[in-house]
Amino acid sequence: MSVDITRPSKHMLTLTSPVMPAAGILGFGDSYRDVVNYDKLGALVTNPVTYEPWSPAGGTRIVHLDAGCLVHTGNPNPGLSKVIGKYRDLWTMLPVPVILHLIADTVEHVRKSASRIDSEDSINALELGLNDDITVDEAFRFVRAAVERTEKPVIVRLPLQDAYAIAETVVEAGAASLVVAAPPRGTARDKYSGQLVSGRVHGPLVLPIVLRVVERLVKRIDVPIIGAGGIHSPEDARDYIRAGAVAIQVDSVTWINPKMLEIIGRDLGGMVVTRESGAFPDEWYPGMGTTTHDLIQGKESKPKDKK
Amino acid sequence: MKDTQAIIERVRRVNPDVQHLELAVDEALTRIKPGQSLLVRVAPFSAHFTEEHWDPYLREQWYPVNMVNNKLVIERPTGTRYEPGQIVNAMGLIGQPIRFRKTARTVLLLAYNTPPTALLMTIPWLLGNKIAVTLVLLGNAVDYGTQHLPPEVEVIRGSAGTEEQTLIWPNQVLTAGWADQVLVVVSKDDERLRFKRVMDLFENMRREVPKNYLFGVFQPTLACGIGACWCCALKMQGMEDKLVCTEGPAFDLTMMDLK
Repeated sequence: MSVDITRPSKHMLTLTSPVMPAAGILGFGDSYRDVVNYDKLGALVTNPVTYEPWSPAGGTRIVHLDAGCLVHTGNPNPGLSKVIGKYRDLWTMLPVPVILHLIADTVEHVRKSASRIDSEDSINALELGLNDDITVDEAFRFVRAAVERTEKPVIVRLPLQDAYAIAETVVEAGAASLVVAAPPRGTARDKYSGQLVSGRVHGPLVLPIVLRVVERLVKRIDVPIIGAGGIHSPEDARDYIRAGAVAIQVDSVTWINPKMLEIIGRDLGGMVVTRESGAFPDEWYPGMGTTTHDLIQGKESKPKDKK
Repeated sequence: MKDTQAIIERVRRVNPDVQHLELAVDEALTRIKPGQSLLVRVAPFSAHFTEEHWDPYLREQWYPVNMVNNKLVIERPTGTRYEPGQIVNAMGLIGQPIRFRKTARTVLLLAYNTPPTALLMTIPWLLGNKIAVTLVLLGNAVDYGTQHLPPEVEVIRGSAGTEEQTLIWPNQVLTAGWADQVLVVVSKDDERLRFKRVMDLFENMRREVPKNYLFGVFQPTLACGIGACWCCALKMQGMEDKLVCTEGPAFDLTMMDLK
């Protein structure tokens, strides 16, 4: 299977599976290696990175919601140079392409970051995260700054509330594809501190909202669209593909059930293991990996700790 | 890190507010050490994804307080009902073991406005190594029932009153002076502010707080528990941010940026 997730060009990005983690979910690639089989994914999207280091947010970071959560981390990261220095070797060894998520904070930083990423072989594409409440003009300048400084595909993650308004401008500025959309922003009361906290909302209820935006944008935009938001099962992921998305990004369900990312990857990548005749129901499940299967069958020794 | 299933084998109410669950776990999780915890989802995942329920959404952090016959004893508030035979999804081990000084002879455990659950796993280990344990309960924690704790543990309860008065307990200077190491847990409402208050208190008592003496045991709500989401990142003095889920939960308060 091969999926073109960027528009045709010299450096277009083709994946073996349309499933990838959303930015901020799987870290920089090292955290989930013991739990998730990366072979079954299309790409690794890194945690958000800025040109200069950012500190963690103060106060409450997570608020529990009914069937969801609100997250406000402040996007802490050690800065682009340190991230590349620390994870370059790992990214080179990974079996999937690496898409670095860059936060668009200033035009100058985006320009410098894009130049740095262009010279980095371990990174295959750049995903530019645009802020909420961005103007059309700002969006154009951010994307233009990145596109002018790198030959690698620049994928742009749109803020949900401004997706309709800026999508065409972003494509005109040179975006290779669009991620629709960043988790919506919300405000909720933290039960421990009693204070209102603003952050990004994750949960199954995000899916119908984003799905509608994807359906409408697919008709207006002629670059590939990657659906992201509220995916909690293979069926949810298929809904995005039916709506016209070429690929999908799985977010917070990975924190709750890390195997679900792989299950969705196997399902959409056409890699579901067929149940053997004579196997008991508890010896088979749709997302079963070959390693687990072989372990049950006694064909393979226990996997060693990769650390 | 392992994502496994575990079975609640026994539920025992140890006092009006606290119940203990005996949890049969995967062999990998029996290697748990004081300070480490599990991230648990009470409803097991089904093979039919349409049957999933997403409330509560994130996994709960469960702190073992002891291990009996290779089963973890988990302390939970009595508000939630658990059944023997109930299967849960347990991911672990979360965090690093708490390190004690080799020369430690007396350890002070301090719970400020929160139950001392996250500290209790250290008690059997400390007593087993002939280290004296004093447990100080402050603020809301004074109501915590301690009947189930070993009799060797000295329990001191703080005074009631204003926010400042809750940080006072009998023989305060003596207990702090005798302790070779102090572990503190605080309420989740604003951990940084409360650890700052504890730090100020010890600075007043000891003039200068030495390194490797006063440790905060952080309990923020965890999303991934594996070091991916950076929701639990802490700001340190003159060094890179640390993650509670992979490098914690105990951090030397003198090394932290609590401003």
